Amino acid sequence: MTARRFRLGLGVALVAIIALAGLLAPWIAPFDPNASGADVLSGATATHWMGTDDLGRDVYSRVLHGARISLLVGPLAALVTAIIGVPFGLLAGYARGRLNQFLVQVMDLFIALPNLVLALIITVMVGATLLNIVLVLGIVMWPEMARLVRGQVMSLRETPFIEAARSIGCKPSRILAFHIWPNIMRIVAAQMAIAVSAAIFTAASLGFLGLGLPPPAADWGSMVQSGFDYLSLNPLLSLAPGAAVALTVLGFYLVGRSVE
Amino acid sequence: MIGFALRRLAWVLPNIVVLTFLLFATTSGWLGSPAAMMLGTDASPAAIAELNARFGFDDPIVVQYLRWAGGALTGEFGRSYSTQQPVAAMIAPAFPVTIELALWAILLAVVTSVGLNSLVVARGVVGAISTGFSIIGVTIPNFMLGATLITIFSVWLGWLPTTGWVPWDEGALLHLKHLILPVVTLFAFYFGSFSMVYRAEYRAVERQLFVRVAAAKGLSESAVSFRHVLPSAVLPVITYVGLTLGQLVGGAVVTETVFSIPGLGRLFVTAIGSYDYPVMLAVGSIILVGVMVTNLLADLALAAMNPQIRL
Repeated sequence: MTARRFRLGLGVALVAIIALAGLLAPWIAPFDPNASGADVLSGATATHWMGTDDLGRDVYSRVLHGARISLLVGPLAALVTAIIGVPFGLLAGYARGRLNQFLVQVMDLFIALPNLVLALIITVMVGATLLNIVLVLGIVMWPEMARLVRGQVMSLRETPFIEAARSIGCKPSRILAFHIWPNIMRIVAAQMAIAVSAAIFTAASLGFLGLGLPPPAADWGSMVQSGFDYLSLNPLLSLAPGAAVALTVLGFYLVGRSVE
Repeated sequence: MIGFALRRLAWVLPNIVVLTFLLFATTSGWLGSPAAMMLGTDASPAAIAELNARFGFDDPIVVQYLRWAGGALTGEFGRSYSTQQPVAAMIAPAFPVTIELALWAILLAVVTSVGLNSLVVARGVVGAISTGFSIIGVTIPNFMLGATLITIFSVWLGWLPTTGWVPWDEGALLHLKHLILPVVTLFAFYFGSFSMVYRAEYRAVERQLFVRVAAAKGLSESAVSFRHVLPSAVLPVITYVGLTLGQLVGGAVVTETVFSIPGLGRLFVTAIGSYDYPVMLAVGSIILVGVMVTNLLADLALAAMNPQIRL
C-alpha cells in the first residue's frame, strides 16, 4: 500500500513540523508574539515575514506560538473524548437487551446534534478558558469514539476466544479489560489522532466565532477573525493562521486514517 | 411501518423536551438574573423583585420552562435583550436565508456528486479526486476556505462581492452573485463525502442482475448508468444528507459569519457575543429541534425503503 504509506508519511511529517514549530517557538520566533510595535498592519517584509496585525504584532511569531495552544488543546480534548467514549462504547457493545438499546439511542442522539453549535452554547456559558475548551470539545465529540468502540466490541464479542473466556467463568468486566481492550487499543489510538484533528478544527471555529482563548493568546481561530477586516490589505493576516489550522488538522487526520 | 414511526417518535419527542429544558435551564441559570440584566447593575433589590414577580422570573424553573415552551410552540419567543425586538421578528427574516443557503449547497453537492460519478467519461477522474476532496472537506475549516475564496475572487480578481446579502427582489443577478462564494464554501465540505457514499453504493448496485440485463439488451453504458443504476444508488446519498445535517448547520453558522449573511447562524453568533439569551435560546432550540426532526424524517424514509430497518 504505497498510497497509504505516502499518506502516513505526509501526516507524520506535518505533525512533526507543527510540533517542532510549537516546541521551539520561543527560540525561533523573531519577535515576542504579544509585543505590539509601531509598525501596524505592515505587509510581508524582510523583518516581518507575514506582516504585522492591527496592533503591530508580528504575525509569523504569533502563528508559531499558536501551534503551542493547538497542540495543547487538540490532544487533551482527544484524551477527554477517549475517557468518556471508550467506557461508554465498551458498555454499549457488550451489554445486551434494554441497556444496549438505551445506550445506542443516547449515542445516536448525540451523534446527530451539531458539535459546533453545542460547543458554542456550552462555551459561552462556562467561559472560554483553556481547560473549559478542552472539556467542552471532549464532551461534544465523545459519541464518535463510543460508536467506533461499540462496533469493534460487537464483532469481537462473537469470536471464539471471548466465548472461551466466558465459558471458563470470566466476569464481563474482566473480559472487557483483559480480552477486548487490548484488541481495540490500536483502533482507539487511530481514532484519537482523528479526534485531535477534529478538536483543533472545532477549537479554531470557536476562535473564529469569537469564543477563542481570551486575548492576547495567539489563538489561530481568533487570529483569522481579527485579520478578516484587512483581507485586501494583507491577506496573510487571516490566511497564514488559517493555513496553519488546515495543515495541523490534515496532519493528524492523515495519521489517524492511515493507522486505522 | 406505523409502529416503527410511533416508536421513533416516542423516543425523539422526550428528547426534544429534555434538550430544550436543559438549554433553557442552563441559559437562564448561568447568565444570572434576567431582571438584574434588564435593569442594570445599580438596580435596587425592590425593583428587581418587582420585575421578577411581573415576568415570573422567580417561579420554579419547570414552570418557567413550560411557559417558555408554550410560547415557543406558538412562535412566541419573548424579546431580545439587546434590541428589544420580539425574537420571532428577528428569526422570521433570517430563517429563509439560511434555508436557501443550505438548499443550494446540498442541491449542488448532490447533483454534482451523483451526476459526475454517473457520467461514464468523468467517473474515473472524479474517483481519483473525490478522496482528495473528502479529505479537504474535513481538514480545511469553512472560515479558511471562505477567506481564501474572498481573497482570490473578490480582492485579487474582483469578480465577486466580498460579503453581504442582497434579497431576491433587489435584483436576481446580484442575489446570485452574493450567493456563489458562500455556497461553494459549504458545497466543498459535502462534495467529497457524498461522492464516496454514492460510489460505494454504485458499485454494489452495478453487480445486481437487473443492471446486467439492461447492459445485455444493448443499452449504452450511460443509459444503464443514469436510468438503471442511478435511481437505486441515489437513495443512500439522500439519507446521508439527512444524517449529516447537523454538521451542515455548524458549517452554515461559520459560513454565514464569514460572509456576513443575515441568517440564523449569524443571528446565533451575534446573540452569543452579546449574551442575548432569549435569542440564543430560541435559535439554539430551533437548530437542535430542526436537526432532530430531520434525522427522524431521514430514518423514516430509510425505513420506508428498507423494511429490515423497522425491526
